[in-house]
Amino acid sequence: MNGLRKNYISSVLFKYFPLILLFVSIMNDFNFNDLELRYFSFNFSYILIFYYTLKRREALGYVSLFVAGLFNDVIIGLPMGISSLLFLLLCGLASYLRNITLTPNLFKDWIFFLITLLILNSLSYISLVLIFEYDIDHMNSIVNTFFTFIFYFFFTYIFHFIENFFIGFRNAE
Amino acid sequence: MEISRDDFVIAIRSAFLKKGNQQKFSLLGLIFFSIIFLILGSYNFKVINLVKISIKEIVYRSSYIVSGPEKIIEDNFNRITNHINHYTSYQLIEKELKKLKSKDLSKQIITLENIRYKKLVDDYFIKNNEIVAKVLIDKNSPFLKSVVVNKGSKNNIKLGMAVLDDEYLIGKVVEVNFFTSRILLLSDINSKIPVSISPNDIQAIMSGDGKENGTLQYIQGADLKNDNDEMIVVTSGAGGLFKSGILVGKIKATENTTTNSLKVDIYKDLTQLKYVKVTSFSKEVTVLDQTSKKELKKMDAQILEVTKKEENLRILLEEKKIATEVRQNIEKENSQLKNKLFNLQTKLVDLEQSVQVQIKQEEEIKFLRLNLLYGHKCRKTIFNKLYKVGTPKYKNCVLQKGKYR
Repeated sequence: MNGLRKNYISSVLFKYFPLILLFVSIMNDFNFNDLELRYFSFNFSYILIFYYTLKRREALGYVSLFVAGLFNDVIIGLPMGISSLLFLLLCGLASYLRNITLTPNLFKDWIFFLITLLILNSLSYISLVLIFEYDIDHMNSIVNTFFTFIFYFFFTYIFHFIENFFIGFRNAE
Repeated sequence: MEISRDDFVIAIRSAFLKKGNQQKFSLLGLIFFSIIFLILGSYNFKVINLVKISIKEIVYRSSYIVSGPEKIIEDNFNRITNHINHYTSYQLIEKELKKLKSKDLSKQIITLENIRYKKLVDDYFIKNNEIVAKVLIDKNSPFLKSVVVNKGSKNNIKLGMAVLDDEYLIGKVVEVNFFTSRILLLSDINSKIPVSISPNDIQAIMSGDGKENGTLQYIQGADLKNDNDEMIVVTSGAGGLFKSGILVGKIKATENTTTNSLKVDIYKDLTQLKYVKVTSFSKEVTVLDQTSKKELKKMDAQILEVTKKEENLRILLEEKKIATEVRQNIEKENSQLKNKLFNLQTKLVDLEQSVQVQIKQEEEIKFLRLNLLYGHKCRKTIFNKLYKVGTPKYKNCVLQKGKYR
């Protein structure tokens, strides 16, 4: 009975871990996008969404991403719906990459992630500055894009380790 | 080319249109939905505004819960940082305390010496009667700045007694009744207090300005130039009514010192008096008493002891300095001697080697000389059984002039 319960908990954790992480990272006071450092910030949500869409698409539902985007907009104070749009586009582009890839390669994923980031951030910049008349420091956007791109590589290993840990834990049971 | 375009379209369609397992909406549908949401939101559409408000309510409340663990970590981090900072400040305070203690010691010496000198010039006043009184009436009249206190002649209050708040002078007693007294405040225009202006020790009379401060009089021609920020006004003790050195007020650095009437900023706010101390001062008349003598002796002993301690400390420091110098000199000499010794040893070894070489050479010459003379007596031939040339026996034979057998 105890074993069954443990198995159930671990399978739930395995299933919802990315979603929980996404919502916690969005709703937490601690914001990777604003670390109060002049030239350092990165978008953790983008890394998480891109990685898990490639690795395990069913882990992050589209509706969850839409809701997470709305929450993100409320927390950051952006026009409602813009983060949802960006998250979903990111998810779509990652799905496209997965569809055209037969053998996954981290390096290729990384380069594609850079292209995706550039597209998304350009879209975000254009819509916020030209349509919604927000003042955005383009240097901060560039720094954010650069570090998000760099950190994808490290977070891939971390997420990979966590995935393996869950799988190992479940197999052990 | 046609095939690759088809592949691209298929991949895009699959990514954006196909609903995955357990997905209720397609990606493209949700993208359109968010664009609509965005557009309607920008036009303040009522339904969207309602959705916004409800989402904000949910997010703000859940954000507080989600941020809980982080706040705990942050609190603990702050607590640890505070502890570390406390420890650092504690160390700094300890250092400061040591410094202050040493300063306090010298201050004690100065105070004791000051008292002694004041006694010598017969200017040492002590408080002989201190009465704490409560201010009963503080009527802020424009003509008279005074207060009435609840102590009078019944409590030994006399005319002219000084009135203090903490250790600051605020006025003097001008009217004594049986149960009450009137105190003329320093700010009153009729109040005339002999004061001294530090640090140049200029004598003046301070009068009230009829409002809240005082003005200095009779300072014409006095040199009040001062580099300090502000000058301190204390009682001078002239007239013998007050003892000297009671704090009265300060002259701000911004004041023009060339004018005839300088403004004195009185330390105490004379409109906020509640309890005051009515005090009289008298000279220490018991100087020649037995107890005073003892006290004086005790004081002298204290001064002597502290001075001795200081002297001892100074001597010890000097000794330490000398010892350090001597040690350094000895170390220097020692290293020099070591160098010399090393050089001499090297020379000795060289000399010994040259002596050895010379002895060998001399022996060789002696052998060669004797060999010329007695070589035939030792050399082996077919007719005798002597020694072969070059052998040690042959050499011995030559050295013993052919007598070696």
